[in-house]
Amino acid sequence: MSVEELAKLIHARVCSLPVPAERAIARFHAADTMSGLIAHATPDTLLVTSLNNAQIARVAELMDVPGICLVGGAVPTPELLSRAEATGTAILTVAHSLSETEKLLDPVLGGPQRGTP
Amino acid sequence: MSYRIAGGDFDSAGGATRQLKEQLVKIGVGAAVIRRVMIASYEAEMNVVIHAKTGTLWARLDGGALDLEVADEGPGIPDVELALREGWSTASDKAREMGFGAGMGLPNIRRNSDLFEIETRVGRGTRIRSRIILSGVEQHAQDARTVLREAPSVAADRCRQCLRCIFACPTSALRVHDHGPHVLERLCIGCAACIGECSAGVYGIDAQGAQDVQGLTVPANALLILPHSFLAGFGAEAGPARVLSGLGAMGFSEVRFVDEWEAALRSEARRAAALRGPGPLPLIPPICPAVVALVESRFPSLIANLGPWLSPVEAAAEEFPLRPVVLVPACPAQHARASAASLTERVTALSPARLAAAVRPFLRGEARASVRGGAPAASFAGEPEQHLGELSVSGVRHVLRILSAAEAGALGGTALLNLALCDSGCSGSPLLAADPYLSVQRWQAAGEAVEIVIGAAGAAEAAGAAPCDAMAVARRHPYVQRPGMRLDPDMGEAIRKLAAIDAEERSLPGRNCGACGAPTCVAFAEDVIMGRTAGRRCPHREETP
Repeated sequence: MSVEELAKLIHARVCSLPVPAERAIARFHAADTMSGLIAHATPDTLLVTSLNNAQIARVAELMDVPGICLVGGAVPTPELLSRAEATGTAILTVAHSLSETEKLLDPVLGGPQRGTP
Repeated sequence: MSYRIAGGDFDSAGGATRQLKEQLVKIGVGAAVIRRVMIASYEAEMNVVIHAKTGTLWARLDGGALDLEVADEGPGIPDVELALREGWSTASDKAREMGFGAGMGLPNIRRNSDLFEIETRVGRGTRIRSRIILSGVEQHAQDARTVLREAPSVAADRCRQCLRCIFACPTSALRVHDHGPHVLERLCIGCAACIGECSAGVYGIDAQGAQDVQGLTVPANALLILPHSFLAGFGAEAGPARVLSGLGAMGFSEVRFVDEWEAALRSEARRAAALRGPGPLPLIPPICPAVVALVESRFPSLIANLGPWLSPVEAAAEEFPLRPVVLVPACPAQHARASAASLTERVTALSPARLAAAVRPFLRGEARASVRGGAPAASFAGEPEQHLGELSVSGVRHVLRILSAAEAGALGGTALLNLALCDSGCSGSPLLAADPYLSVQRWQAAGEAVEIVIGAAGAAEAAGAAPCDAMAVARRHPYVQRPGMRLDPDMGEAIRKLAAIDAEERSLPGRNCGACGAPTCVAFAEDVIMGRTAGRRCPHREETP
């Protein structure tokens, strides 16, 4: 599923410009720790987190992650946006909490596979 | 390879691991192994940033394994067994706020290592060793086909040693020795960048000399296929109509333009892109054979996105199986394809300069409508209408940047990517005399005169040859990665060479001045290890005691 299609389904706003090409997202992993996120990051994983800093973009860059979804209505920091755009990582934001976003993504991406590295 | 890590510097954190990743990709380590290395290396690097004043990350490629070692000047770990438990951490509040300090760092390193060791002394620091076996490395497919000889011809005696060419080459394939330039054919993609940069005329596609037209005879019923901008390269007095007429007087029975096959290819690519629908990466039609070679050598991850058709020059030559064809290539890459073994029986490659010298005597007098020529299609210079999701980019610098962006997945909404390495496409080839924009203007200025020539019944029709519409032609052979950028076919040997190049580069000043004849210090270090310095040395290194 493309970043934009997924964004529509979970009512997320795509913040990064230009919107990265439709890199397929097949799973997601939700966590608020870098170690948890990097351990489950793959080239088709959407990282869902409240960590709003440039390091989360670094993790995405290293692991070829297509997109990061910030929860809780967070406004991405300029450092995060800058690094994400340089590496082609999509930045999404949703107003929902981490657990609410998980519930939205479960039926969309097929719950059982989420988080499987 | 070694990288310094600054404690507390969260802005730069992860930079060492990113550099390590670039090196691993360069030697062809597979994605699954890189993933494990990234996790282990990033966690080890962050441990230094979070807990220590400073540290160093070493990465050594030893045969079939990668050895990571991270040593820091930090507080040390009082209880290693406790530290290896998931969830145990002594990270600061600041680090925790940023998402670190979950107590998963060391467990993550251990989980992704085949061998894991930790040495620590309280008050002195910690040293972590991780070994990751590279078995299962996904080596890229070796190029088993016969590689086209795409390198330009070189007139070494004309070289003034200005070094501009070595910096212009997009694949660092040029070296300048005392006796003149040398092309590393494994790296050369056949673009015309060096030809455009060299004002001394060292590079070209005509080994026998551009002005030598002795023995140049036009076969009976010959078809001439050339870029339309060739016709605009004779100044304002001899416009396209007169040049077309002169070509007829030379003996060509029909003139067609490569641009027609480019337009057909673009049209077919648009149709395919629409059928393909949204995908992770844009479709790249093989409009420019040098771009194809660039993708095959420097951007192998994009090979699957190259459109399955012949380039316009190849398609044009394929479409007239029963007639002698004289093809005028606009770059060494096109010349290589025109001269390929399967085509030589029927197809003759003739450089624009030789054809220009040959046709010049026929440009005097009135223009005669004796040649049937196809109308030129708009190219990169007079860009046709842009369709939704279609992006056209030309020029070496821009193409390199856009391919890097495509590789990073940053071309959102782009379904079709038309690329040409010459500015404004083939019309901007340095082998053609006319400026691409001036060329379009001259076509427009020629107006009705050209229409008359194009509309006239030519000798080909009189001889019964059926007119032919340009079409996109499917490829018979798949695209394959070129071995040019690889250091060695054997993975272990490639690893050894990469380490040696890294060590050699460290001994160089990093000025990238070109005084050694190579464009960068890295390129020179590679020359040293690959045994191709040909006696060249770094003058700045000699100054250093």
